[in-house]
Amino acid sequence: MKRPARITGFLASTRDLALGAAGFVAAIVLIDSGGLSQWAERLDLGPLRTIAVPVTETVDRGLRPLGIDRVRLTALAELGRVSWSDNPAALVAAAPPPAPAKPPPAKPVKLAANVKAAPAPIPPAPKSAAPLLLSPVVAAVPSSTALPPLLPVPPGRPRVVALVGDSMMAVGLSDVLLRQTADNAGLQVIKAFRSGTGLARPDVFDWNAEYPAMIGNARPDLVIVAIGANDAQGYIDAKGKVVSFGSDPWIANYRTRITAFMDMLEGSARQVIWVGLPPMRAALYDAHVATINRIAYTVVSTYPNAAWWNPAPYIGNKDGGFRNLGQVAGYHGRPKIAQLREPDGIHLTDDGALLLTDVLIPWLSPAAAHPLPVTH
Amino acid sequence: MLFPTVEYGLFFLVVLAVAWALAGRVGLHKNFLLLASYCFYGFWNWHYLPLLIGISLVSALIARRVQAAGTTAARKRWLALGVVLCLATLAYYKYTEFALLAVLNLWSYFGNPPDIDVQSPLLPLGISFFVFHAISLLADAYRNKLRARIDLRDALLYIAFFPQLIAGPILRASNFLPQLARPRNPRTIRANTACLLIVAGLFKKIIIANTLATRLVEPVFADPASYAGGDTLLAIYGYAAQIYCDFSGYTDIAIGCAMLLGYRFPRNFNAPYTATDPQDFWHRWHISLSTWLRDYLYIPLGGSRGGTIRTLVNIMVTMVLGGLWHGANWTFVVWGALHGVLLAGHRLWSALRWQRLAAVRQTVAWRWLSRLWLFHAVCLGWVFFRAPSFDIAFAMLANLAHAGPLTLASVPVLLVLIAGLGGQYLPRRWGFSLEFALARAPIVLRGAALACAMFVIQLLGPTGVAPFIYFQF
Repeated sequence: MKRPARITGFLASTRDLALGAAGFVAAIVLIDSGGLSQWAERLDLGPLRTIAVPVTETVDRGLRPLGIDRVRLTALAELGRVSWSDNPAALVAAAPPPAPAKPPPAKPVKLAANVKAAPAPIPPAPKSAAPLLLSPVVAAVPSSTALPPLLPVPPGRPRVVALVGDSMMAVGLSDVLLRQTADNAGLQVIKAFRSGTGLARPDVFDWNAEYPAMIGNARPDLVIVAIGANDAQGYIDAKGKVVSFGSDPWIANYRTRITAFMDMLEGSARQVIWVGLPPMRAALYDAHVATINRIAYTVVSTYPNAAWWNPAPYIGNKDGGFRNLGQVAGYHGRPKIAQLREPDGIHLTDDGALLLTDVLIPWLSPAAAHPLPVTH
Repeated sequence: MLFPTVEYGLFFLVVLAVAWALAGRVGLHKNFLLLASYCFYGFWNWHYLPLLIGISLVSALIARRVQAAGTTAARKRWLALGVVLCLATLAYYKYTEFALLAVLNLWSYFGNPPDIDVQSPLLPLGISFFVFHAISLLADAYRNKLRARIDLRDALLYIAFFPQLIAGPILRASNFLPQLARPRNPRTIRANTACLLIVAGLFKKIIIANTLATRLVEPVFADPASYAGGDTLLAIYGYAAQIYCDFSGYTDIAIGCAMLLGYRFPRNFNAPYTATDPQDFWHRWHISLSTWLRDYLYIPLGGSRGGTIRTLVNIMVTMVLGGLWHGANWTFVVWGALHGVLLAGHRLWSALRWQRLAAVRQTVAWRWLSRLWLFHAVCLGWVFFRAPSFDIAFAMLANLAHAGPLTLASVPVLLVLIAGLGGQYLPRRWGFSLEFALARAPIVLRGAALACAMFVIQLLGPTGVAPFIYFQF
């Protein structure tokens, strides 16, 4: 007769606990060594990554001949195909991007982030036809930038606008833009943003591979981009050497990534507006963001149908620095004082985003100009 | 460090192994758990560790003074000092900006307010929870619920114990400190229950809550005007299921992890959408918060001892402050007030003693109608709870009247919605049966089964890790 402890599920000793934990670890390593290896690769630079990458890679290499990982990959692909999961495995079957105007970057489109394929170090940046290293990165972005005239669209069809970017687009800005354009028959808005992404770490999220699936068959007249908030981080190059954020090699590599991204956007859209990152609350992070803005401005300015737009005059203080509170239009047009930035000091609140859309909406669609004036 | 991440999995495995290796040496065991808890918190932002340790130390030292004070008046003075310090800390971090905005906007009605810009400090993760733990320590000391003199290390561990540190459940000092005084015994651990709780929590969070959030709730709440009434209603139902699965999923994982370490946490949810009246709902939803508010706010305010009007006022005050505890936004105040009105209305309604009404209340049809009505009243509250502003909340409600196509009702969304809401009606004996069935398998296989279950959940859920909703509170 079994002991009551067994029947009711109580442990008999710490040995039981150790055996259970061992069974758990063995099973998870056996069935998901590929996933663990990819998890390690996506970690931020640091001691954990330094230890985890070689360990998980060794385990994965050792177990790969067993073929267990194929079950996971097949399942991912199947789930993506039937749209149960939003796993980017669906990308494998996604339509190829429209032919770009410029030669495409010499970068192989890899499988989804969760589908094992990529090696641990970040691959070298793509080679682009853009005049990459010809102009130095500007010392500072212009404090005030104008939105360029919109390219005309054929009469009778709405202007197709794609909202692209990371959480700087996903939080606040896209919500308000979508709300303010919902009833506008002259605009068709496509959502193509994803929080937690960026251009510095294609091993975590590869925009050049993911974007075509995000917009599907659409060919936007205008792409509004807000991206880069997660890019103030170093990476490991193909030789396994750490490349620190802001160093010359980092800047050169980041330029090529923005160039490849712009090549792709310009290949699928007629016009691109790059919304610069707003001033940030933490001084060090603000300095990092200024670096990212300078690089983005330098690259975007080389494209004839693209413009870099500085949001600081609208969302920042008088000096273009970080501002937390500000006056916006409240109920019945009555001004109200509101929080413009989320508590993290990074993202825009809806009220903060209103200060930008009050400029963007009249520009996008003069007939549907926001009726409420903005006061600072 | 979020629960459904590899980082937490590794952290917990290490903590589990070392904690049990030290189980025979009580002091070392507790030192280790305290250190692990601070590492867990520091993983998010170590700059706020001094705040956590400071609040824990101050409240523990004051609680000891409460215990040692000779007169009731002295005990009360020490208690008041401790509570004021705790609440002032919470107010500073959480409500400074909210209060300032309220003043400035009031000012703007009478003239031009000063052009000032204030940045409130970054909200420390879990501050609402560890401040409530600190107050519980003080209050339980004042009420003589702690028999032994408070041990400083135990008090620090009670407040910082990592499974509950970020989002509860809110433990009572009188329940948890005695557990710390006892040595750990593996024979008290229901490993199957713990593993099933962890799997259930992951399932609720990753598959149900995350799927509903990404595919239904977030798109509609971000841009209500783009959706018709059907989608809007579905999104409101979806949020009801999402927030339940998100928060109860987190709690299940927390309870399961604590259980594997040999500690018992109180139940925090009990099929809340099966409730038939508002009081019943709060006996089933976030139980550790509702009982905390009852014991440390409603009853000290006078509870139901001062007549009908006073009772209703006490209910409203408790619920409005409970709403404000969730966040510094007027939408949370409205959410709390709405529940206050529901509870107050229920109190008046249930006081009616008509015999015919009493007979009707006993019928099955009445119970189901009550359930349906209450669920929709709760959903109305969720609209204000979820919406970032009143504009969005009212746009959502206005949208319900708009006819149009149902665009978001895909098969996966409907399945997880049904699972999230309907799962609460599953008989509890099914869980027990599964637990006992598992007990027949060798322990190694049970560990492997847990791994397989987690693998499948991770495979089925949306990519990425969304933070738990209650982390922001």
